[in-house]
Amino acid sequence: MRTVATFEIDYIQFLGEDGRLLREDLPEFAKDPKALVALFKQMLLVRSFDTKAVALQRTGKLGTYASCLGHEATHIGIGSAMQLDDVLAPSYREYGAQFVRGVKPREVLLYWGGDERGSDFSGPAHDYPWCVPIGTQCLHAAGAALAFKLRKEPRVAVAMVGDGGSSKSDTYAAINSAGAYGLPFVLCIINNQWAISVPRKSQTGARTLAQKGIAGGLECVQVDGNDLIAVRAAMDHALKLARAGHGGSVLEFVTYRLSDHTTADDARRYRADEEVKAAWTREPLVRLRTYLTALGVWSETEELAWREVCNQRVDEEVNAYLQTPPPPVTDMFDYLYETLPLDLAAQRDDAIDWESR
Amino acid sequence: MAAITLIEAITLALAHEMEADPTVLILGEDVGVNGGVFRATAGLQQRFGDQRVLDTPLDETTIAGLTVGLATQGMKPIAEVQFDGFVYPMLDHLICHAARFRNRTRGRLTCPMVLRVPWGGGIRAPEHHSEANESMFTNVPGLRVVMPSSPQRAYGLLLAAIRDPDPVVYMEPKRIYRQYKEDVPDDGEALPLDVCFVLRDGSDVTLVTWGAQVKETLEAAEKMAAEGISAEVIDVATLKPLDFDTIHESVRKTGRCVIVHEACRTAGFGAEIAARLAEHAMYDLVAPVERVTGYDVPIPLFRLEMKYLPSVEKIVAAVQRTLAAS
Amino acid sequence: MNTLQLFTLPDLGEGLPDAEIVEWHVAIGQVVRLDEPLVSMETAKAVVEVPAPCSGTLLRIAGKAGDVIPTGTWLAEFAIDPALPQRAAGHDTGHGHAPAAHAPLPAEAPLVPRVPALTVDDLASPQAMPEGITPAFGSGFKDALATAAATPAASDDAGTVVGAMQVSDQVRSEALVAVGGIKAMPVVRALAKKLGVDLARVAPSGADGVVTLADVKRAAERGDARVGASITPTVNASTAFDPHASPSAPTSRAAAANDVERGADASFDADTPIRGVRRNMLRVMGAAHAEVVPTTLMDDADLHAWAPGEDITVRLVRALVRASEIEPAMNAWLNAKEGTLRRHARVDVGIAIDHADGLFVANLRNADGMDAAAIRAGISRLRDGLKDRSLPPEQLSGYTIMLSNFGKFAGKYATPVVVPPCVCIVAAGRLYHAVVPVLGGIETHRLMPLSLTFDHRAATGGEAARFLKALIDDLQRSR
Repeated sequence: MRTVATFEIDYIQFLGEDGRLLREDLPEFAKDPKALVALFKQMLLVRSFDTKAVALQRTGKLGTYASCLGHEATHIGIGSAMQLDDVLAPSYREYGAQFVRGVKPREVLLYWGGDERGSDFSGPAHDYPWCVPIGTQCLHAAGAALAFKLRKEPRVAVAMVGDGGSSKSDTYAAINSAGAYGLPFVLCIINNQWAISVPRKSQTGARTLAQKGIAGGLECVQVDGNDLIAVRAAMDHALKLARAGHGGSVLEFVTYRLSDHTTADDARRYRADEEVKAAWTREPLVRLRTYLTALGVWSETEELAWREVCNQRVDEEVNAYLQTPPPPVTDMFDYLYETLPLDLAAQRDDAIDWESR
Repeated sequence: MAAITLIEAITLALAHEMEADPTVLILGEDVGVNGGVFRATAGLQQRFGDQRVLDTPLDETTIAGLTVGLATQGMKPIAEVQFDGFVYPMLDHLICHAARFRNRTRGRLTCPMVLRVPWGGGIRAPEHHSEANESMFTNVPGLRVVMPSSPQRAYGLLLAAIRDPDPVVYMEPKRIYRQYKEDVPDDGEALPLDVCFVLRDGSDVTLVTWGAQVKETLEAAEKMAAEGISAEVIDVATLKPLDFDTIHESVRKTGRCVIVHEACRTAGFGAEIAARLAEHAMYDLVAPVERVTGYDVPIPLFRLEMKYLPSVEKIVAAVQRTLAAS
Repeated sequence: MNTLQLFTLPDLGEGLPDAEIVEWHVAIGQVVRLDEPLVSMETAKAVVEVPAPCSGTLLRIAGKAGDVIPTGTWLAEFAIDPALPQRAAGHDTGHGHAPAAHAPLPAEAPLVPRVPALTVDDLASPQAMPEGITPAFGSGFKDALATAAATPAASDDAGTVVGAMQVSDQVRSEALVAVGGIKAMPVVRALAKKLGVDLARVAPSGADGVVTLADVKRAAERGDARVGASITPTVNASTAFDPHASPSAPTSRAAAANDVERGADASFDADTPIRGVRRNMLRVMGAAHAEVVPTTLMDDADLHAWAPGEDITVRLVRALVRASEIEPAMNAWLNAKEGTLRRHARVDVGIAIDHADGLFVANLRNADGMDAAAIRAGISRLRDGLKDRSLPPEQLSGYTIMLSNFGKFAGKYATPVVVPPCVCIVAAGRLYHAVVPVLGGIETHRLMPLSLTFDHRAATGGEAARFLKALIDDLQRSR
C-alpha cells in the first residue's frame, strides 16, 4: 500500500498571549512600529464603536445588532491587508475590515437600524453588503474571483464566514469551485468558537476548520486570530499567492466571541462564565497594547487621548445616523428594477396615496 | 436564412450576444464540451473557448452562487440549469440574492444575469424532468420571468433577457424545442419584454396562455373557427412583470376569458390573471373566467402524462362553457 | 400458418434518432429464441446489444453492417414459432416508438385541414404527424411542407439525454394579426404597446399596408403617434384656438403666478384686463360658440332607490362610462376640418371644477377602468392638484367627454357648452324633491335634473337620447 496524499496544517502565531514575541522573523510591515500603532488605533476605534452600538440597541435606538467584540485583530488584520480593488464579501459582523476600507460607522447603524441605505455604503462600490443567508457570500466571492480570473485582473476576492457558516453547503461549494477553477479566492473562516449556542466541536468532526480547504485543493493554514501580526502576515501571504495566479487559500482565524451572538441573544444560557473570563485574558487589544507599550511607542496617556478622539468620532457618526430622516416610501419600489415596470407603478401610486391620508 | 427550431434559435441568440459583448459568458453542467444535454450551447465552446463557456462542477448551488457573484462584478452570465426539476437548490441565490441585490444596496450593486431553464412536460421523461414551476418565480419581487413559444420569440426574447440589467428566469418549453422550424434572421433584434403577443385576432373569447400550450391553444382556436367561434389568442411571453393591459383590452372586447397553462391549478399563474380580471374587468365579463390547467398533482410519468396536460379538447370545452354562460 | 412480426428499432438511448448496424448475430432463415442476441447496434453514445423480441425464424433484415437505421422504423421481420416462448402481450408503454396504428386517411381531403387528435403514440414517434394530414395551427400559422410525415427528422442528434422529444422539419411561419383594420405581425403590435405607440396613427410601409417594426420605431422616435395624445380639447391652454398664442402654453404654476398678481387688481369702475384662465375661457367659449351646433336635451333621474352614502360625482362618472359603452357616439371627437369622427374605447371624463381663478376642466383618465373608490380618489387628487395649482397641463386636457356638476348653489337645467373636439357635455343641476306618481298613488322622490348638450354636426338626436336614457338608467340604480 502506498500513500497518495497527506496534509499538514500550520498554526501561525507571532505574539504570545502575554504580549511577547514568540518568533524573531517578523514580517516586513510589523518591523515598523508606527504601522502597528496605526492598526492598534483602528482596533480601538472599532471597539469604541461596538460598545456604543450595543448601548444604542439597549436604549431603543437601534434594532438587533451583531457585536464584533473580541474580533478586532482578525477584522482589522484582514481588511488592512487587502487592496481597495479587491472584493470583500462579509457575513454581518466584520465592521473593522469594512471600516479600514472606507465604510462609515453610520452606515452600519443605518443597516441595523432598518434602513437599506446603509448597504449603499461608502468605500469600494464593488464590495458585497451584509449577508444574512449564511455562507452564501462565499459563493458570491468565488463568482467574483472567477470574473477577475476571466478578465485577467490582478484582484482577489475575500470571503469571511464563521465557524458555523463553515458547515454550510455554499461554503463547501465555494471551496470546491475555487479549487476547480484555480480562482484568486481567499476564504477567511473566523472561528470565534460559537455559532449562537452551538459550540465549535459540534459543527464538524474535522480537527481544524482550515483543513476543509484541503478537500478543494486550496492552501490552508490556521492562525491565532487574536494576534494582529499573525493575522496580517497570513493574509498578506494568501493575497500574494492569489494575485500571482497560484490559486486560493482557506485561513482559519481562531478567536473568541466575547459578546452574545447578537443583542437578541443571551450567551449566559449556554456558556460558562469561567470560559468567557479566560477568553478575556487572551483578547486582542491586551496583547498588542502590551507589546507596543514595551516597545515604547504607546502609553496610557496616548490611549486616553485616542479614546477621546474615538468617542468624538463615534458620537459624530451616531448623531448622523439618528438624524437621518426615514427613507421616502417610494424607495420600496424604485430600486427593484432598473426601470419601474408598469405593473408596479399602480402599487407605487397607492403607497404614495396612503402617505397623504 | 434557413428555417430553424426553437433550440437552434436559442443557440443563435447565445452566439450573437457572446460575439457582441465580451462580458457575456455561459456556465452550467455539460454546456461546454457536450454543448448541453439539449444541445442549446452546441459549438459555442469550440467557437468561444473555455473561458467564455464553462463546464461547472455538479452542484446547482455552485452554479447559482457563482452566477450571482459574476453578475454583481460586471459580467453578464447566462447560467443553465439542466432541467426545471433541478432548480430548487438555486432558489436561495435567486430569491435571496439575485432578485434583491439592487434593492438591498439601493442600486449600488446590480445582478444582470439570465438563468435558462428547460421547462415543462410532454417529453416522457423520468421524474423531476418535466416541472412547470413558473409560479414559484412569478411570486418573487425583483425577478423577470420570460417564456418564449416560437423560434422567433425564443431568439428575440433571449436577446432582450441577456441585455436586461436585471435578473431574468428564462424558461424554455422543452416539448417544443424541435417541434417545428421557423425563419429566424440573425439580426440581433431583441423583442420587447414586459408585453404580451396577440397571435390571433378574435371577438368571442380571449384565450390567454404561454409556453408549449400556445400550440394547443392555437389549434383549439382553429377548430372553433370552423364552428364560427372567433377566438383571440394571447401569448403572455413575459409572465413577470405582467402586461395586464393587453389582456384587459382583449377581454373588454370579447367578454370571455379562458386561461391555459400546464402548471398545476392552485396558485398557478392563471390565478393571478383571473384575480386581476375580477378586479378590473368584472363589468366586461359576461361569463366566469375559466382556467384549463394541469391537475394539482405532480406531473405523472409518461404513461399518464398526456392525461395530465391540457389538451385541445379541454380548451374547446372550456370555451364552450363560457359561451353557454350567457 | 405463421404469424409475421415486424420488429421496429426502439429508442436505444433516450432520444436517439437512429443507430448503425454493427453486426448481425442471426442469419436469415435461422431460428432465434426470445431475448437471445440478435444484432449489435452502435448509437451516438455506445454499442448496444439488441436481443430478439420474439422466438421464430428471421425472415428479412432492414440493412447490413454499416447501415444506419432510423429509430422507429423496421429493423427485422420474423415468422413467429408458437411452440417457442414469446413475450407476453401488454399495454404499449410507449417506449417502443412504434408508429401508431393511425386512423385511416380521410376519404376526401377536408376543406379546412383539421388537426388530428394527438395520441400518446403520436408524440412517441419522431415523425410528427400521420401521413397526409397537415396540421393547421390557427390562422396564425401556415405550413410550408406536408412531407415531414413521410421522412423522419433530418437532424442526427435530438440531444435530450432523457425523455423523447417530438422532432420535425416542418416549417411554420406566423401570419399577420389584423385588429381594427390594422395589419401587423404580433411582434410589431407588442413593440407598439411597449413603446406607447398608437398603431392606428402609424404610416404603414410594408407591402399591402402592413405596419412594420421599423415603422413603429420611427414613430416612437418622432413621438407623433403617442397613444392618447392628439387633438386635445382644452379649456385652459391657449394653444389650439389662438393662432397668435405663444407656442408653449403657460404651465399651471406660471398661470397661477399671473393670476395671483392680477387678482389683486380686481377693482370697480375700471376696465380690468382679463388674464390667465379667464382669458382662455373668453377665447375658447367664443370659438366653441362659433363652431358647434349645440342641441340640449333635458330630463330627470329619480334617485329614490339610492342606497345611503352614494357619492353624486362618482355616480355621475360611472353613469357616463356605462352610457358611453351603450351609445359610443357621445364619447367621441369631431375633427370638422378633416371630416373625421373618432370614437374612443376609453372614457376620459373632463370634470368641470370651479375655482377662484376661473373654470378648470380636469381630466379623470380611464374612468372606465375605475371602481368607485378609485374615482373618488382620482377626483380628490385632481381637486387637490388644482387647489395648489400643481396640476400639470396634461391633466387639464385630452378628455373624451365632459361633465359639469353645477347644482351646488342653484340651477336645475342648463344649456352647457360643448368644447371641441368633444361632442357631448352632461350637466347635473341641484337635486330637488318632487311629487311623482307611483302605481296609482303619489310619493315624494329626490330627483337629479340633467342637461345634455351634443354637437349636432357629429351626432343625431336619437344617439343623444339613447345615451341619456342609458345615463339615467344607471343613475337610477341603487348603487
